[in-house]
Amino acid sequence: MKTFQIFPAALLYFFCACSRTPEPIKYGKDACAHCKMTIIDKRFASEIITAKGKIFKFDAAECMAGFVKENPGISSDDKSIFLVSDFNHPGQFVDARNAFFLNDNSLASPMGGNLAAFSTQSSAEASKKDKTAVIYNWSLLLKSR
Amino acid sequence: MKTFALKVCLVLLLPLPVLARTIVVSPGTTIPNLKRAVQLARNGDTIIVMKGTYASFNTLINKQLTILGKNGPVLDARFQEEVVTITSDHVKFDGFVIKNSKTGSVRDYAGIRLNRVEEVTISNNKLINNFFGIYLADCKHIRVLHNTLIGSYNIENSGNGIHLWKCKEILIKGNYVTRHRDGIYFEFAKKSVIEDNFSENNIRYGLHFMFSDDDTYRHNTFKNNGSGVSVMYTRRIEMLDNLFIENWGSSIYGILLKEISDSRIEGNRFIRNTTAIYMENTDRMTIVNNDFISNGWAIRVLASCDANQFKLNNFKGNSFDVTTNGTLKNNFFGSNYWDKYEGYDLDKDGIGDVPYRPISLYAQIIEQNPQSVMLMRSFIVNLLDKVERAIPSVTPESVKDEKPTMKPWKR
Repeated sequence: MKTFQIFPAALLYFFCACSRTPEPIKYGKDACAHCKMTIIDKRFASEIITAKGKIFKFDAAECMAGFVKENPGISSDDKSIFLVSDFNHPGQFVDARNAFFLNDNSLASPMGGNLAAFSTQSSAEASKKDKTAVIYNWSLLLKSR
Repeated sequence: MKTFALKVCLVLLLPLPVLARTIVVSPGTTIPNLKRAVQLARNGDTIIVMKGTYASFNTLINKQLTILGKNGPVLDARFQEEVVTITSDHVKFDGFVIKNSKTGSVRDYAGIRLNRVEEVTISNNKLINNFFGIYLADCKHIRVLHNTLIGSYNIENSGNGIHLWKCKEILIKGNYVTRHRDGIYFEFAKKSVIEDNFSENNIRYGLHFMFSDDDTYRHNTFKNNGSGVSVMYTRRIEMLDNLFIENWGSSIYGILLKEISDSRIEGNRFIRNTTAIYMENTDRMTIVNNDFISNGWAIRVLASCDANQFKLNNFKGNSFDVTTNGTLKNNFFGSNYWDKYEGYDLDKDGIGDVPYRPISLYAQIIEQNPQSVMLMRSFIVNLLDKVERAIPSVTPESVKDEKPTMKPWKR
């Protein structure tokens, strides 16, 4: 009888171990998985959590896009989670699949991509400064790379 | 009479001497701040600011002026604005204490900002607690000399010490930068020279290049910065006679090279860094006359690197001389001194008679199995390395120094 009680507890434990929650970025310590630079700017940091729970951290959305392009296995997997910082709320992650990416020359993102992510289209529009600015969604962004 | 008329005419033709004035700024006088003095001044004038503390909320310098601080007057923005912005060519700005620029994620607020100007000299200033220190945007022919920049060492509120964006032909000499994000940052900055600077204890890099070609940095010291020096996405950089010391920790490098080609690393000293030089996608580099002393990894070359030359260097007391992650082809090692070399020199010509293989078997094992680092300096590892040296089988055949020197190169 006792084993029956332990079993669900053990099961629960394993499920917890496999939960895929974002790992906070240690700014000034963690290095970008793509460009090797130390991640420091909260406005642009990004993170991937793969189906297996492996975590990759990036200093910029353009680095994450570059990484995804080099690892098609991760991008084609629906279970992969892509997170980007909301430019208006530095350090807060939003789902990249629902985010709006503003490509504007006035944005000095760490890897020269001039790219920032926003949670809503209107906030992305509001941050436009350059005439040539373009707004992408996630799939268009990957195509543009 | 005729000659006299001619003389008068000639005298009139002489250029009038420039009537440059000197304006003195002092607290409690009719010219109580720099802003007022700039309003009164004409091109070519000199402004002298006497000792004192002045509030300065983005004081605009839009005339060709020589502005001198006497006995270190303080310009303080009280975290409300930038301190000084220069938008005119031919300005000299010397001898100030620039303090407390605004911080924040909206704009890159700076202590001294130069916007689209030429022929400006920024010298002998002390910049304390600014978000960005000296910020050059779209500038040409600027001299940044003998300034001291001390940041806040706050990860959220630290910009770069000396920041260049889209600049050309800039001289950065004799500055001291500490506690900023990157000590000196170059983005799209070309044909510039960085010399005799001291960059230490910055949060990220002591010096950082992005997309900046044809630059030279020499005689600088980079000490204990968050991640050393990073040279990325550039071409034709000369790195000469610098000292890289105590850049220590995980993912921290003396120099991080990524996507760079046709550059020279010469006469530098790398002392007690975790990894002295890390190379990825790096081609056609000449790495000569350097000293690698007491580093964890002296050189880490990834398989993506091609046609690099390592010559006349000294390798002393490094845990690993060279490591790689795959087959390393087409990279040349020659005439280096390796303290781990155990060959002989029967013909006494100073050159070892058998080649030295800088990649040890143990380094290859760690590559496959990082946990095996716990066996470091153990008897079994020494044995493995000795066997491998005698009968090479696992280490890459192509990586060897055919002419290792028996004695270190004297500098």
